[in-house]
Amino acid sequence: MSLKDDAFPSSAAFDMISSALSSDEAERKDAVRKGGAIFAFTLKNDQKAESSWYIDLKESGEVGKGQAPEGKKANVVLTLKDEDFGKLISGKSNAQNLFLTGKLKIRGDVMKATKMEPILKKAQNKAKL
Amino acid sequence: MSFLGGPECSTGANPLAQFQKQTSADTSLQRDRLASRQGPQLNGFRTQQARPDDAAFQDFAHAGPQMGEALPTGGLHFEQLRREQELLKRGGAGSPNWAGEFAQHSPHFAPEEFAQQRGAGFNPQEFASFRAQQAQPRTASPSYQQQSSFQQPMYGGGGFGMQRPMFQSQFMNRPQEPMYEGKGKGRVQELSDTDWEKQFEQLSTEDQTEELDKEAEEAMERELNQIDRDLLGDMDYAGHMGDEYDQWKDFEGQFGEVPTRDFQNAPEFGTYMFEENNLFKDVPNAYEEGLKIMREGGNLSIAALAFEAAVQKDSDFVEAWVALGQSQAQNEKEAPAIRALEQALKLDPNNLEALMGLSVSYTNEGYDSLAYRTLERWVGVKYPQLGVKPRGLDEEEDLGFTDRHILHENVTNLFLEAAQLNPEGSDVDVDVQVGLGVLFYGSEDYDKAVDCFNAALESTQIGVMKREGEEHLLWNRLGATLANSGRSEEAIEAYSRALDLKPNFVRARYNLGVSCINLGVQEEAAVHLLGALSMHRVMEQEGREKAKEVLQDGSGRDVDDSIVEGLLQQNQSTNLYDTLRRVFTQMGRRDLSEMVGPDMDLGAFRKEFEF
Repeated sequence: MSLKDDAFPSSAAFDMISSALSSDEAERKDAVRKGGAIFAFTLKNDQKAESSWYIDLKESGEVGKGQAPEGKKANVVLTLKDEDFGKLISGKSNAQNLFLTGKLKIRGDVMKATKMEPILKKAQNKAKL
Repeated sequence: MSFLGGPECSTGANPLAQFQKQTSADTSLQRDRLASRQGPQLNGFRTQQARPDDAAFQDFAHAGPQMGEALPTGGLHFEQLRREQELLKRGGAGSPNWAGEFAQHSPHFAPEEFAQQRGAGFNPQEFASFRAQQAQPRTASPSYQQQSSFQQPMYGGGGFGMQRPMFQSQFMNRPQEPMYEGKGKGRVQELSDTDWEKQFEQLSTEDQTEELDKEAEEAMERELNQIDRDLLGDMDYAGHMGDEYDQWKDFEGQFGEVPTRDFQNAPEFGTYMFEENNLFKDVPNAYEEGLKIMREGGNLSIAALAFEAAVQKDSDFVEAWVALGQSQAQNEKEAPAIRALEQALKLDPNNLEALMGLSVSYTNEGYDSLAYRTLERWVGVKYPQLGVKPRGLDEEEDLGFTDRHILHENVTNLFLEAAQLNPEGSDVDVDVQVGLGVLFYGSEDYDKAVDCFNAALESTQIGVMKREGEEHLLWNRLGATLANSGRSEEAIEAYSRALDLKPNFVRARYNLGVSCINLGVQEEAAVHLLGALSMHRVMEQEGREKAKEVLQDGSGRDVDDSIVEGLLQQNQSTNLYDTLRRVFTQMGRRDLSEMVGPDMDLGAFRKEFEF
C-alpha cells in the first residue's frame, strides 16, 4: 500500500522511509531505539490542504497515514509546507534551518524533534563526506 | 546534624553537595546562552548564520515581562540555592551547633500553625506572591540577603511549605532572630529532599503552564521553556544521582584526570560486531597486513577484516580500532565505522584521528550535535591553549535546535581561533581546515565548506586528515560538498580524482551514484551502485586469493571454501541497498528493487547492467 498522496508530492518520502524501515529488522530496531517517539508530520500544500503522516519509532517502527497509530498519540508534531518537506527529504535544507526560519513548526516534545533527522537521512540521496 | 559538614555525609551521598555541582553546571549553561553573543566576532565569515539566531535572541531579550521571567526564575533558584550552599558550608563548619541554633529561633512560629500551613499546601495566592517575589530580585539577586523585610511575611504566608531553601536562607541570614521551639527542628527534617523537590517541581510546572498559556504558539519560546524544564529535570536528578555518581567517581579515580565518562555513557551505536570466520584470525601481524592493503589500494572489506582480527587479539589496540573505523567508513559502512571509532575513544578519549573521523561519520548520519561536540573536543585536545573545557557528549542528545545552533557557532569560533594560531609556520593547520569544512558542511554553508576543503587540498602540509597517499579522502569530501550544494557536475569531477587515486574507494563510488541520481541518469547510478556493492563481494574472489596467500605464510593450509563464503555477515551497507532500491523504483523497475538486499545475486543484474 502506498502512503503517497498525489496532492503532496513530497509524501513519496514516507514510502521510502517505510521501505527502509521494513526491509531490515536490525535497522528497524535500531531506529526505534534511537527515535523513541511517535513523530507526526503535517504537510500543507498550495491549496491549503493538510494531511498527516506518522512514523512510529516508539514501538512498531511503522509509517502510516494520520497523526498517530490507532489509539496512540504523537509525541511531537512537525508542521511544514509540502515544498519544504521535499527540501528536507532531498537534503537541500535541514530541519534546524527550517525551524530557525519559522518554516517548520513543532508542537510537543521539541527535543525529540532533533532525533528524527537520522531517520530522514534514510530517505535522502545525500553524498557522504 | 549538619548538612554538609559531618563525616557521615560523604559528598557522594549528600544530595545538597550534588545539587551544588548540578546547579553550577546549569547556570553555566544559561550563561552560555546569554553570553555567547558577546563572544569575539572573529571574522566576517559567519554573518550569515548569525542572523536567525540573533533574531531569536532579540525576541528573547525583548519579549515582554512574562517571557523574561521564564528563564531568570529558573536562574534565580540556582543562584539562591548555591549561595545557601556556601552559607551552609561556612556556617555549618563554623558552628556544629547549627541544629541547636536553629532550634532556638522563631518566637512566633508555633508548630500547630506550621502544620496547618503545610496541610493547606500550596495555593494560588501563595504562588502569586512567590512569583512576585521571584520577579523582583531577579537583578538584585546578589543582594538577596538584604531582603529580610519581605522574608518575614513569608513565614506567615506559608512560603515555608513551598520551598525549603527559602526557609533555610532566611534562617541563615538572621542569626540574631530569637528563639525557635524544639519541635521546629523536627519539622524541618521532615521536609526531606523528595518532599521539597516535589513541591518545587509542582511550583515550576505551574509556572510553566502559565507561561505556555500566554504564548503557547511561539515555537521558539517553547524551546526556551524546554530548557527550563530540562534544568528542573537535572535538579530532580541530582537527588537521585547516588549510585551512578559513585560509579563515575570510581571511574575518574581509575583514569586520573582523563574525562572518559562521556564516551562511557551509553554509546549511540552499541558495540562493534565482528565477522565470524575471519581469515586473518591466525595471522600474527594482522594490523600491518591491513595497513598494507589500505596503502596499496586493496579491497577495503579485506582490510577491515585484518583490523578486526587485530583488535580481537588485543582489544586495547587503539590504532587498530581507528584504522578499522576508517576502513569501514571508506567502505561506505557508516554504522560499523562509528562503532569502531567510539570504541577507540573509549580507550583513548583524546585520540585526534578517532575524534575527527567520528565527527565526519556523525555528520553523515545526521547526528549533528554529536558531531559538533566531537569537533569541540578535537580542537580542545589539539589546541589546549584555547582553554576548551572538555565536555561530556552524553548530554548532547537533549539539545534543541537553538542550542545546537549556538553550539555550532561556538565550535566554529574555536576552529577559527585555532586557524589563527598558526602553530607551525605560516600555513594553517590542515586538520583545522578539514574540521571547519565539516562544520560548514553541517550548517549548509557549502561554499565555505568547499573553500575549506580546497584549501586543505592545496596545502602542502600533512596532517591527521591528510596523510601521504590519502588525498582521495579529501577529494571525496570536496565532491560530497559540491554535490549537496547542487553542483553535481563538479562533484563528479572530484569523485573521479578520488577514484583515480583509489579505485577501491567504495564511498566515492556510492557518491558518484548519488550524483547520477541527482542528475537524473538512473541507469548510470545503478551501474555505480552495483559496482560499489560488487566491491563488497569481490572479496569473495580476491579474498580467497588473499586468504591463501596469508594463510600459506602462516601454516601452509589450504583455504576452506566455507570460510570465504561465510564472510561479511555482520556489517552490511544498508545505505547502498536503500539507495539502489530507490533507483530501481524511480526507474519503474519494482522487479529489480525487490531483488535488492544482503542476499542479492549480483550476477542476475549483470544481464542488464555493465559493472
